[in-house]
Amino acid sequence: MMRWLLCLLFASGCILPAGAWAEEPLVVAPTTSEVKITTDFAGTTIEAVGAMSGPGELIIKLVGPKQEATLSRETKLGPFWVGGESVKLQGAPSLLFLYATAPIATILPPAEQQKYGLLLEGVPVRVAPHLKAHAAEDWRKAFYRIKERQGYYHEYDTVIRVFGNRLFVADMRLPGDLQVGTYTIETLLVKSGKVAGHTIGTFNVRLSGVERWVWNAAHDHAWLFGSLFTLLAMLLGLALNAFPFRQTR
Amino acid sequence: MDVNIVLILFYGALVGFLSGLVGVGGGFLITPLLIFTGIPPIVAVSSGAAQMTGTASGASYLHWRQGNIDFKMGLTLLVGSWLGGGFGVYLAKVLLKAGQFGNVVVFLYVILLGFIGVSMLIESVRAISRASARVPAAASEPAAANSLLRTWVERLPWQTTYPASGVRMSVIGPLLLGAAVGILTSLMGVGGGFIMVPVMIYVLKMPTKIVVGTSLFQLLFTTAAVSVMQAGINHSVDPFLALILILGSVFGTKMGARLGARLPAEKLRLILALVVVAVAVKMVVTLLMPPAHIHSMSVEVR
Repeated sequence: MMRWLLCLLFASGCILPAGAWAEEPLVVAPTTSEVKITTDFAGTTIEAVGAMSGPGELIIKLVGPKQEATLSRETKLGPFWVGGESVKLQGAPSLLFLYATAPIATILPPAEQQKYGLLLEGVPVRVAPHLKAHAAEDWRKAFYRIKERQGYYHEYDTVIRVFGNRLFVADMRLPGDLQVGTYTIETLLVKSGKVAGHTIGTFNVRLSGVERWVWNAAHDHAWLFGSLFTLLAMLLGLALNAFPFRQTR
Repeated sequence: MDVNIVLILFYGALVGFLSGLVGVGGGFLITPLLIFTGIPPIVAVSSGAAQMTGTASGASYLHWRQGNIDFKMGLTLLVGSWLGGGFGVYLAKVLLKAGQFGNVVVFLYVILLGFIGVSMLIESVRAISRASARVPAAASEPAAANSLLRTWVERLPWQTTYPASGVRMSVIGPLLLGAAVGILTSLMGVGGGFIMVPVMIYVLKMPTKIVVGTSLFQLLFTTAAVSVMQAGINHSVDPFLALILILGSVFGTKMGARLGARLPAEKLRLILALVVVAVAVKMVVTLLMPPAHIHSMSVEVR
């Protein structure tokens, strides 16, 4: 499958006359349109294969669905460290991966990075309740730090492989703990410090199999689910203990 | 939730072992362990309750077969703990609104575990040294505070006999104890065995083996009620997490119950005391140490 795609894209890349369009041609095909989260899901790799018209730098921006987060801060009370104030952060993507053929700061000026949302610490985040600007900024910075530490906001400059200035392949590794929803893959072609080509694709992450069934049951029939599951837990504990007990007695 | 299944199995086994050995549900241990692993506290508390239901049903059965459950006492305690549990849920709601729930819980843990653990440790070490010195059992008189409480309990109305335990006391004693444990179940996500067991041994003067069985019986129905409520109200019971914990714990429970039948009572108490003190020390250290990261974040469950 992968080889066929490569051949196809390589052929089409050869046929494309360079500079035929005002915006540079850029074709990207993610090989996955849906990621199913099953019980044993431990992350997956999304592969994007693409073609461009000539030499240039590439940036791929992978953005997860929005997620509301609660951030809290420890404060000192006498000799003890205790939980202090907390805020809600809204509107930020659950995941932001930036892939590029070189460190983004070296191929795009800051204004362009800002314009296309290519700064890990430049994601728009609303802080609730409304705070003074510098206080809100502190919370935002803490949020970016945590996201980067947990590996949900990251910049990679070794993942995209380019073949003959025409074809490229990117293997984008997603962690096991994914927010469900729509993820976008935005690919930018950069030539001499300017974005010359631009294309967007999406894929979905959804719960599947037993995981989905259980999630639905737990949310739509919470009390029934809780009662039945608790009963199941009791019976399971009983069965697992009772039968070996009888045999060895 | 992206966590290591083997680690969760191990936690389950560890807690099951303690459960079978000394009759504590291990909620006070499993909750912090799960939170350290990165599981959201509310999910840890709720799935822990579901897991304790499974563990306690198996362990209760073993103790019932060995005739270690005082059903009259267990049911009296249960009435108290359901009432206390309801009050505790209300109290938790008030504290959550004030934004102080987390802090109150941590300090409650430290105070309770520290006090109970240290007093049990001293008592069990004394008991063991007396046993090795071959002094008659009658010499093990309770401390002055204990006997005061005991006199007070003896003066309460509605005295009744609990034949299985061989004790006579007022219904109010076990009802109050049950209520206290019920409040703890709602506030701290624990079954309350770690407070129930020492009180039944030292204040109610029940035989240790009966205490373990009866405590497990009460635990079973208290945690079952909490598990159902958490799933119903907060959608926070993770069935996969709970099932893995149960699987781990059944093996631990079996081993614990076997060992418990062989070990002398004082040594059982010493083991429990050591575990309680260890958890308390760990919590105090966590409170005193500056956190590695001052900010922490929780996200909405998908």
